[in-house]
Amino acid sequence: MQKVITETKKAFMTGNETAAWAALVSGADVMFGYPITPQNEIMHYWTRLAPQYDRSFLQTEDEISAGFTVCGAVQSGKKAFTATAGPGNVLMQEPFGMAEGMRLPLVAIIQQRGGPSSGTVVYSQQEVTLTTFGGNGEGYRIVYSTSTHQEIYDYIIKGFNTAWKYRFPTFILGDGYQAKMREPLEMYDPAERGIKMVDTYPLIGLEGSIAASQRDPQHLCNIYSLEEELYEVVMKYSAEFEAISPELVEYEEKSCDDAEIIVVSHGVVSRAADDAVKALRAQGIKVGYFRPITLRPYPQKQLREAIAKSGAKKLLVAESAYGQLYRLTRQEIYGETVNIETLFMPGVGIVDYDIINKVKSIL
Amino acid sequence: MFAFSPEIPAKVVEAYVGEYASGKSELSINRALDLKIQGRVVTLVDLDTVEPFYTLRPIKKMLEEKGLTVIGYSRENSFGLGETGAMLNPAARWALWREGDIILDIGYGVFGAQTLNLVEGANESAELRVIAVINYTRPMTDSPERITEYISQLGRVDAIVANTHLGNQTTTDIIKKGTQEILAVARKLNIPVDYLAVDENMRDLIEQEEFEVPVKFIHRYMPQALW
Amino acid sequence: MENVAPATPKSWYLPSKPHKFCPGCGHGIVLKALGEVIDELEIQDKTIFGCDIGCSLLSWDFFACDSTQTHHGRTTPVMVGIKRARPELITVGYMGDGGGYSIGSQHLLNAAVRNEKVTLILVNNTNYGMTGGQMAPTTLPGQKTETSPFGRDPELTGYPTKGPEFVAQLTPDNAYVARATVSKYKQLKRFLRNALRNQIEGNGFSFVEVLSTCPTNWRTNAQQTWHFLEDEMEKYFPVGELKSPFGKGEK
Repeated sequence: MQKVITETKKAFMTGNETAAWAALVSGADVMFGYPITPQNEIMHYWTRLAPQYDRSFLQTEDEISAGFTVCGAVQSGKKAFTATAGPGNVLMQEPFGMAEGMRLPLVAIIQQRGGPSSGTVVYSQQEVTLTTFGGNGEGYRIVYSTSTHQEIYDYIIKGFNTAWKYRFPTFILGDGYQAKMREPLEMYDPAERGIKMVDTYPLIGLEGSIAASQRDPQHLCNIYSLEEELYEVVMKYSAEFEAISPELVEYEEKSCDDAEIIVVSHGVVSRAADDAVKALRAQGIKVGYFRPITLRPYPQKQLREAIAKSGAKKLLVAESAYGQLYRLTRQEIYGETVNIETLFMPGVGIVDYDIINKVKSIL
Repeated sequence: MFAFSPEIPAKVVEAYVGEYASGKSELSINRALDLKIQGRVVTLVDLDTVEPFYTLRPIKKMLEEKGLTVIGYSRENSFGLGETGAMLNPAARWALWREGDIILDIGYGVFGAQTLNLVEGANESAELRVIAVINYTRPMTDSPERITEYISQLGRVDAIVANTHLGNQTTTDIIKKGTQEILAVARKLNIPVDYLAVDENMRDLIEQEEFEVPVKFIHRYMPQALW
Repeated sequence: MENVAPATPKSWYLPSKPHKFCPGCGHGIVLKALGEVIDELEIQDKTIFGCDIGCSLLSWDFFACDSTQTHHGRTTPVMVGIKRARPELITVGYMGDGGGYSIGSQHLLNAAVRNEKVTLILVNNTNYGMTGGQMAPTTLPGQKTETSPFGRDPELTGYPTKGPEFVAQLTPDNAYVARATVSKYKQLKRFLRNALRNQIEGNGFSFVEVLSTCPTNWRTNAQQTWHFLEDEMEKYFPVGELKSPFGKGEK
């Protein structure tokens, strides 16, 4: 495969372009997509760039089809991905479920927009519940919530590897602001950073002749006749997901050692939280910063430890949604006696002053 | 050969084209405000048809308060428009019929300067100049070959503005290197470079003498929108 | 007297036999014809068989070919994804009339429009068999089902979907579109062979609807079953090739 980046360099881009370039350097073979704002430029740039690097694209008839064509392509051993948002994310829950059920290394980039329903085309953090636990299953998904263009780049590369190594569907959760924002990042070839891309392999269309009895046919299955058969599958997946969770979990923690209040946020809001915590510290207010990077699996052990070591009396969950990160966090740290305060701003941006004011109001 | 005329013609009509996030909106705004400060009547036209919701809208009101006429949907009356690919404000179609200077901010997209076909009289206008904005740190225009290819796709280009920067990580070296490459390509294509745009925060670091084209210090308005 | 075993296609997966379709069901006939065609074209090793949800699902381990399942109506995009990613494979999507004409109709329609180089076989038995005999897009006027207990009333629910006819309208000349019936085995086999040949040659979209029987949900004996197929269904749904790159097409 032709190298996309021959030498590491800084570039000034939007998040959506970053995503397209990251998929290219990750060695993605094919994208299937359907237009929806605010992820469109991922497709625009992929379609412009793909032919130069012998990759392909198909614009499908809807998001359902985009998700299922990805399922088919990864089954045949190719690195495939899609990108969507909002109502498209809702429609894709069906193929995402197939990927969970059949353990397919599907990669999806989600640029959250406002909801419910068509909501806005602009921004929100309201697709947390949907992306982590959507579908008629147990949420066997790996979800990275990015906050900068550099992270979009880094975690898409990592996401493809996670998907192909563990074979759980993997999501890069961004939002409309990250999609459209412009900022510099460093573009690099993964090999240059010592990142080895995990080899892909087919689940069907394997080498070796069935007719000549060199191998058995593959009969992949996602529906079971008996309750017990499904039970065994689900229990096995659960055990595997739980076993790999500790090595998957990623988080960022700052100034928590002596914090009386810990601000918990994710994605683009954590940029405001970071600024707010710095400003409050400068004013002598003991506040800490905790950010889950993986929303699924959630860094619950690390958050519990941060609460324990600081002796914090309060958490402040700040999000551009009405309680999706809050509910996730609460269930993950069940049993902790710390009070949880909230700053819910569904569908609108949160800036440092919003958090600073809120923290001061709950001191 | 890099003509830059300080004399301003009776009527300025400029269309800024270029890559997604190349700085078209920023330079259009700066240009429009420059003209305004000189006491001229200026209309700024938002012609981004691909992703209209994300363009000038969030700062439309502020620009109007500074005395510009802005043609484009404001946030309040932009209901649902982000979903539809091509939304053209009817006023934009007739923008060239207006008195005074007209600055057109053309959105990105595969059609490049062809978007001007949507504006009545653009192709016949004697005053119109199509100005390509090039930022060398953008991956689609990060080598002489790519810039050449990119400009050739744009269609009509009358001038170039060199706008190499890396946001808040811009250094003088990045500007120098980018500008050199852009100038070299412009020379080859025989397209004049109007000026080099530099963030006003770098005023102390940039010497006009180091560049063969005028340096224009610009103020950044766009970051006031959250994206 | 010696036992005479029926001839079994080589591409059948024997551990899954005898199959699980109801007595008198037409699926067995379609799958036998398909197996024989796969053998004759020698494509067993590169065939990917994908089945939909519904009775067609019972074929998921029918063939000694790599096979996959998906959701109701979604076989078409899964096959498209595989074919787009690995054009050297021969993808066969197998579905019922509910999966193809109702819940998955947008996929069928758009795969046809894009002339995707996949082969889709849609078995039309005029009802949803596996879920217990509900009305399907193909249920005939007046036909009783569990959700049309007084017979299908076209005033209320429209007329039966004529799939090959609309697919033929949507596709270019190098597509293959036909309607077969399990009552004409040799013709069925010929149509399936053409549909696979068309994909092998890289021409375009290939679609065969097969009129089939469902005595269990029709509540018919052998004679009544055959009567419904030949005298009712085949009258409403004309059998033949609607579009073929291999000559004028057989009516």
